[in-house]
Parts: sequence; C-alpha cells; structure tokens
Amino acid sequence: MLAQRFIQLSSRRLQANQPALSKFAAPAAIAARIQARHVAFQPSSSPVQTTPAKPSDAYSILAAQRRLRPVSPHLSIYRPQITWYLSISNRITGSLLSGGLYIFSLAYLASPLFGWHLESASLSEWFGSLNAFAKGGIKFMIAMPFTFHSFNGVRHLVWDVGKELSNRQVQVTGWGVLGISVVSAMVLALLV
Amino acid sequence: MAALRTSTSRLLASTRPHAFRSAIAARNYATVEPVSAAAEAMSASQPPVSPKKTSTIHEQGQSPEARTKTFHIYRWSPDTPSQKPKMQSYTLDLNKTGPMMLDALIRIKNEVDPTLTFRRSCREGICGSCAMNIDGVNTLACLCRIPSDTSHESRIYPLPHTYVVKDLVPDLTQFYKQYKSIKPYLQRETKSEDGLEIRQSPADRKKLDGLYECILCACCSTSCPSYWWNSEEYLGPAVLMQSYRWLADSRDEHKAERKAMLDNSMSLYRCHTILNCSRTCPKGLNPGKAIAEIKKTMAFT
Amino acid sequence: MAAQRTFTKQAIPKSMTSNFRGQSIVTHSSPFKPSTLSITQITTFRVADFHTSSRRHILPAGPQVINGTANDPAPVPQPSPTHGSYHWAFERLISAALIPLTVAPFAAGTLNPVTDAILCATLLIHSHIGFQALIIDYLPNRRVPKTRALFMWALRAGTLLVGVGLYEFETNDVGLTEAIKRIWTA
Repeated sequence: MLAQRFIQLSSRRLQANQPALSKFAAPAAIAARIQARHVAFQPSSSPVQTTPAKPSDAYSILAAQRRLRPVSPHLSIYRPQITWYLSISNRITGSLLSGGLYIFSLAYLASPLFGWHLESASLSEWFGSLNAFAKGGIKFMIAMPFTFHSFNGVRHLVWDVGKELSNRQVQVTGWGVLGISVVSAMVLALLV
Repeated sequence: MAALRTSTSRLLASTRPHAFRSAIAARNYATVEPVSAAAEAMSASQPPVSPKKTSTIHEQGQSPEARTKTFHIYRWSPDTPSQKPKMQSYTLDLNKTGPMMLDALIRIKNEVDPTLTFRRSCREGICGSCAMNIDGVNTLACLCRIPSDTSHESRIYPLPHTYVVKDLVPDLTQFYKQYKSIKPYLQRETKSEDGLEIRQSPADRKKLDGLYECILCACCSTSCPSYWWNSEEYLGPAVLMQSYRWLADSRDEHKAERKAMLDNSMSLYRCHTILNCSRTCPKGLNPGKAIAEIKKTMAFT
Repeated sequence: MAAQRTFTKQAIPKSMTSNFRGQSIVTHSSPFKPSTLSITQITTFRVADFHTSSRRHILPAGPQVINGTANDPAPVPQPSPTHGSYHWAFERLISAALIPLTVAPFAAGTLNPVTDAILCATLLIHSHIGFQALIIDYLPNRRVPKTRALFMWALRAGTLLVGVGLYEFETNDVGLTEAIKRIWTA
C-alpha cells in the first residue's frame, strides 16, 4: 500500500513538471468529478504541494500517522450490561468498605493528638442518640456495600474454580446476588 | 480575539506548577470538545461530534412505502487529522437493503457515500474483518441483523478503545503482536513412534473444542475494560484463550514455558473476571472460562 | 480560529525505518480521494487545538506508538510468580478465609480476641491487595511511573499505620466485631 502511494505521489509530481503528458490527466479529472458529486466527507483544506517519498520513509510516515490517530470511544458508548456494571460495583463497594476501615483506623490512631473521641463507647452513644430514620438510613448505607461485596465475592470465588461461567449462569447469578444483597441489607438495617 | 484569549490562557497555564503534569498532561492533538466534563474525566477517548450537529445524508429516490431507517456512523479521516471525529447520519430504505448490518454498510458505500471506510471480506462470520461496535455491543457486522424497528436509530462505532486508522477501521497491530508473542503453534521435540503423525485421543481432541474456532476478530479483547486500560501489557481475552488452546493441547511439550510467559502481574492477571468477553463473542465461544482454566492450572501446579 | 501548534516529528529508531517488509497498516479506502499528505507535512504537522484548558484524564491513552515492526512479537515480561500465580492463589485464600471469619463471631455471639485479631489482619491484607490492584490498573507504570511509585509507597505506609491503629483498637477497646455489634444495636 505504501509502495503504491509512493508511485502515486511520484507520478503526480511528474505530471506537474510536464503538463504535456495530458493523457495522465484524464483519469484524474474523472476522479475529481466523481469526488465532487459526493460531498459527504469533504476535507476543508485544499490540496497542498507534495514532495517525493522514498520506500525507506515508509515507517517514519506510518509512525507519524499513528501519532495523530484518535482513540475510539469506549466507556461512554458500550452498552450497560450486568457483567461489567457488577464488576465495577464490586470494586467501588470494596473501595468504600476498605477506605472506611482505613480512615477510621487512622483517625483512631490520631485521635489522642486531636482529642477526638472515637472509642466504641462514645460512638455507640452518639449513634444511639440518632432518630430511627437516620439510624436505618446509615445502617443500610453501610450494610448494602458490605452484603453486595460479600455475595459478589462468593460469586467470584465460584468462578475462580471454573464453575458458573456460561453467559446465562453469569446473568442469573448476577441478578441473584443483587437481589440477595438488597434483601439482606434491608434485614441488617431494619431488623438487627 | 479568540486567538488572543487562547494564547493568554496558555501562557497562564504554563506558569502553573505541574505536579503530575508531564505524564498525565492533556493531549494536544486532534482532541475534541467533551460531551460533558464528567464523561471526559471517565474516558480518555475522543467523543465524536454528536449526530445532532452533523448533516444527514439521505438515500436518493425514496419510494412512498419505504421503510426508512437511520444509521449513525463514526467518521474520522487521516487526511484531515485535526478534524474532530464525527457521527455521520445516513438513511436507508430497508426494503432495498439486505438483512445484515454489513449489507447496510456496503449499500451506503456503493450508493450513498463512497468515502465510508470499513473492513469486510467473507460476509459469513469466518474472517473476522468486519468486527465493530454496533448499538453498543462488539460484534461482526455480517452476523448482526438490522433491527427491523425503523424508529430505532442504529449507531456504529469502531471497536472500542482502539486507535482509528479511518472511520470504522481500527489498528490491530498491537493485538497481532501480542498473538505472536504467545507462540501460537505446536512446540514439540520428540517424534511420534512411527515418525509420521502426532496422534491424539478423541478425548484429548475434544478439549480443543470451543478454543480452536476463534477467528481473532478482537471483539472480546476490545470489550474488556481491563484491556482498554492496559492493552500494552495485558494480553486480553482473545490472545489468552489462544494461549490456553496450546496449554490444553496434549501434543504440545512446552507447557512450562507457556505458563512461565504468563506468570507475571500484567500478562494474565489483569483479568478480573468481568466477562464482557464471553458476553460479546460473535462466535459463541467462552474466553472467560478459558482464562479461568489457565488461572486454575497455574495456581495448582 | 484557535491557535495552531506545530507538531514536531518524533525520533524514530533506525531499525524501524530500514525494514520495509511490514504489513501495510495505512489504508486509503477511496480511490477517488488521493492523499494530499506529504512528508514535510507529516513531520511538522500543524494541528489545531480544540480546547485550551489543561484537562486531565484518569487514563490518558496518549498518541499511538508501536515499538518494532508489525512482525515483531510483543515483549514477554520476566516470570515473577510472586506477582503472578502465587499472588493470585494467596488473594483467593485470603478472600475465602474472610467468609467464615466474618460469619463466625456474629453467629457464635461470643467475644474471642484471637479470631478478632485474625479477622483484622485478614481484612487488612485483603484491603491492601484490593487497593494495590486499583493502582496497578489505573496508574500504569509505563505512563505514570512517578505517580505510581508515590501511590504504592503511600499505600504501604497507610497499611502499616492502619495495622498499628487496629492493634491499638484491639488492645485498648472492645475489639472490632464487638464494637460493630454495640454500635449497630445502639
């Protein structure tokens, strides 16, 4: 393809230098007319003067062209499917839970320096002083990531032994995990 | 005026301290306006100009009973690399079009707009050339039926998170280089007893079913978010399934080396069992299962 | 019109320019529209800037660079089971161990400092591996080596301090499971 282009470029240059070779002009004129009919994707820039290329320039031309290529759209256009939505949810819920553990533990370590009261007694006293609505809400907000991450973690462990990996099983277990985690989070938040 | 503002803001920008700038700096070539700031932060791709802002090219000579369907197709040309990628809309009469998406594309190219560029060859799902993202899912255009609902507008993109050569043609050089790196051929020193064929029991041959049928269309690899972020080092589902095809082959004698090639942080273990790969495979294969089997054999031997 | 910026040619290795056997990657699909690009145009390409703000992507793909020709295989990394198969098996063991460790204290309803300590340690390792996977996935070494190193060291320091914090909590307070139980039923 590159060699073809090289011939194309040099023949055009030859034509530019020797306009007497008019028989080469005819196919180009036809091509130009055909091109003019299809105004679908017209470049705005006008043709510029060309310079000769050697076959050894092929890779430098290619490498330069590669650097200009756009990346095709991905996250924004891929269809929402239970596979990758549950996968990223697993990661997000895990990060929330572990992040919570890390922040609490670091704060507990630093609490004597700042005079914070993060002992279990004072925390439970503060939590007990909230109204039932806030209690249930906070409990659900913590229980939901926990139950989801736990049940989906089990699903991942089942996959890791090579089971339940067909498309149908992945969808069934996915929705199952989602249902169980919502129900169990409700139970944990409201009944326990 | 705009030019003036631009240069001023750039001057200001250059005086700001650059903590992580050198590496995470914004790209300055062929970038386009984002759909939204949040969408752009999530995605490193260049969202194409929305079809609402581009013209629609209609088919000539519409009949009154035409079933007209709109196709929005991703366009970008290397001849004008600084122009934003855009979504070009085309309308076709489904009565005059074949049943598959590839028929629609070929009709657009033949009769409406010859500049539209895409790969195609066998039109029967055996060559893997026409792999693209149709209505949000990677598939082969030749195996994908056009939804007969004409009120639904189809969107066609190149394979996600690939470098675009032109329009719907992605550059798969890295994908093929990765395939080559796993040595996809039989490696064996010992000769068979009679020095002729290397025989295999029917049971051993059966282990290769569901693996050898892969046509390397790259639908699965480019549907994998892990492969989107780390395609330089992570091999991706298609190549890993082919790696397993040789690990599962009873005749191959270099299994230890094959496993050692995968035994690092990136090549295999960037797979987080997302399973978009198995979901999207147009040939109905299960790369996710193959990768799970590789992990199992690597962990317990 | 937005200001234009000159795109300078990148140094290309000799080995790439001398070999001409590679497959053609560039396609010019339309015979009607001959390319108007020239060498000089490509090497110093003038590219319009469409936006002027310095937006930062989480995962910038960057311009495409292919090392070697299309016929060279992608490089294979050195085997390192501690980051590969051993790491994977260890991660699964830790995850599997968390199931009985989380269920047991609440099911039994008794306070056992030993199982509580084991639970804390396992949770810490599980969290550490999880955050590590996050950093490896989203901060690739080849693209942001300094940021990657910074986050890795921050994570190690963080995990160490969290370990100390959990030890303090276990020894000075009622223990993790008991604390959660008390707050939950408060």
